[in-house]
Amino acid sequence: MVTQTSMIPAVTFLLPLAAGAPVLFWKRIDRRVQQGLPILTAALVTAMGAWMAYMAVNGVVLTAWSNELRVDALSALMVLVIGFVALLASVYSLRYLRLEGLIQRVGADAAAGRMRVFYGLLLWFFGTMLWGCVTNNVVMLYVAIEATTLTSGLLVAFYWDRRALEAGYKYLMLLTIGISFALFGCVLVYAAAAATKHLSGGNALLISEVRTVVPFIPGGTAALAIAFLVIGFGTKAGIAPFHPWLPDAHAEAPTPISVLLSGVMIKMALYALARTVSIFYPSWPQVTTFLVVLGIFTMVFGILMALSQDDLKRLLAYSSVSQMGYVLAGVGLGTYLGCYGGLYHLVNHALFKSLLFLCVGAVIHATGVRRISALGGLRHRMPITSGCFLLGALAIAGLPPLNGFWSKLTIYLALAKAGLWWAAIIAVATSFLTMAVMVRAGFRVFWGEPRPELAVKEAPAVMWLPMATLGALCLLLGVYPQAAYPLLDRAAAVLATLGG
Amino acid sequence: MNPAVLHANLIETLSLTMVITSVAAVEMRRLRLSAIAYLCQALLMVSLLVAFGAANTALYWWAGVALVTKAILTPWFLFRSLRGIDDREVKPVIGLGPSVVVACSLMWGFFHLAHGQIASLAPTGMAQLDVYRTNLAVASTVFALGLYAVLTRRDAFKTVIGLCLLENAVHLSLVSLAPELPETALFGVATEVVVTVYLLLYVIGGVRQEFGTTDTFRLRELRR
Repeated sequence: MVTQTSMIPAVTFLLPLAAGAPVLFWKRIDRRVQQGLPILTAALVTAMGAWMAYMAVNGVVLTAWSNELRVDALSALMVLVIGFVALLASVYSLRYLRLEGLIQRVGADAAAGRMRVFYGLLLWFFGTMLWGCVTNNVVMLYVAIEATTLTSGLLVAFYWDRRALEAGYKYLMLLTIGISFALFGCVLVYAAAAATKHLSGGNALLISEVRTVVPFIPGGTAALAIAFLVIGFGTKAGIAPFHPWLPDAHAEAPTPISVLLSGVMIKMALYALARTVSIFYPSWPQVTTFLVVLGIFTMVFGILMALSQDDLKRLLAYSSVSQMGYVLAGVGLGTYLGCYGGLYHLVNHALFKSLLFLCVGAVIHATGVRRISALGGLRHRMPITSGCFLLGALAIAGLPPLNGFWSKLTIYLALAKAGLWWAAIIAVATSFLTMAVMVRAGFRVFWGEPRPELAVKEAPAVMWLPMATLGALCLLLGVYPQAAYPLLDRAAAVLATLGG
Repeated sequence: MNPAVLHANLIETLSLTMVITSVAAVEMRRLRLSAIAYLCQALLMVSLLVAFGAANTALYWWAGVALVTKAILTPWFLFRSLRGIDDREVKPVIGLGPSVVVACSLMWGFFHLAHGQIASLAPTGMAQLDVYRTNLAVASTVFALGLYAVLTRRDAFKTVIGLCLLENAVHLSLVSLAPELPETALFGVATEVVVTVYLLLYVIGGVRQEFGTTDTFRLRELRR
């Protein structure tokens, strides 16, 4: 592994933060600039992410600011996924969030200002997520993750109606409390690493350095730190039972924000959890059993809750809880195969959950309805949306030859190889339940009894193009799963601190 | 009296008063009085950090950050959002009597934990000293009281005060856990608390406008 100093990791997150400031504070900014800046920024970040991924695959770790920022394969993977999903969400926003529609909803006086806030905070939200992925400082990791909550809080409450306000209040309150536990965990990790006397003060904050002194950290402190980190980052990642903020926030936020929350933000929190807790696996292997149990509980709980939902967005939100359980069970194992499966599923879930949210957004945009029982027979009028939804539903259920099949199969095999047959069986059963939930919802909305009162037409090209792109990727990674191998292989090796 | 003993006594007195102000902030039924109790606690915390500063001069900087963020900005936001409204709190789930019992039990429990299991809780050499153990016990109690307020108070404004207590406790615990924490990290942590409080009060202002109440237990029922 070669370390190379580069400013790219810093530019990656500073660019969206800098671009967001004029959008947010310059009242007379042109609307086209407002809408164009997020697209341009996300495209540049995706390109930088691709370059960092290329470097990582070739064994180069990029560092900046005296190792405060560090991009290895795992960070590069996250930057690439966040950049790409943000790019598609920004393009989709062009038609989804139109001034005319907003004027009807919040009034002419508030609408223009609200548009500025939307795009400005979108950029800051994007920047803070990227900051969390490139920082190597354990306390700054907490700061970045809390910053994602602050930048997205007003986006969740964006429509400022009763539902949105309740969701925004819950989101800010529960996530701030949860993440306070993560701060305790991060500080304990730092204090314990500094107390070993093997690292100087500043170095004890760097995750890459702390890894080397974990065997010297007392058992009690390690257990306490792990518990705090799991509660703190687990809350943000939507891990049950710390998930109550998630269904409301994901359902009430404007769809492009739901895509970012469900598609990437919760993954970024899980990344933080895996990044910090995995350093303890070699000294405390019993942690892995705890994480697998938590993952299995989350996947079952999430899908059971999704079963009873009549609101399309809440159904997808609970399904996200369930899918995060798969990712946690994979990376929680600590083995190479488990981490590979977990990270692969993280990428796949970012693709198909973003796709599903975009499809549901198109339905809401066309009909103004999100209750499954009030929808039906949309397939003739929205053929592209219905096709994309079906593709996403089958991919999330893990049906071959789609991408979800391979990542879930890898997780089943990893669980079985670790001797956790019971976990593998539950994971397979949950997949069948997922298929039932998603296909049933899709059937009722697109194939069910047509509703004559719903005079709808297909989503505009700016909205269906991101959906088609994601659908194509779900198919591509299904028929050619090797495409993701070089980067996933390196990224899994970062987390896989246990043999097997 | 020996100056070292006097110093230790001063720190312990300030620490224990922190717990009393926490209970007052949680239990005052008038929200303005509750905010005043919070302000008193923030000033006590600043004094405590100055007192600790005698042993570790870096903590003077911490005291300055706490003064600006916790004793000036946060109370300012709290008082501003209470301007021109009826400041009577929505009746809480649990009253004064049980709250005092909870506070005493928490204090007793955390005091024993901090003095018995300090090696696990705070793995630094300095934290083994008596005053730092007491500080950690007080911080843990204030944290738990903040959490208690968030869980048992129905008034959204009171839950924000609970959150402020919780964040004060986090700040205070860092004195025992990580007194060498670089200023940039501390500044990041402190700034986020202020922004969180500002955003929460902003959203609660919208809740009051839309729902006509800040009773968090009724939001789901009223939104239909």
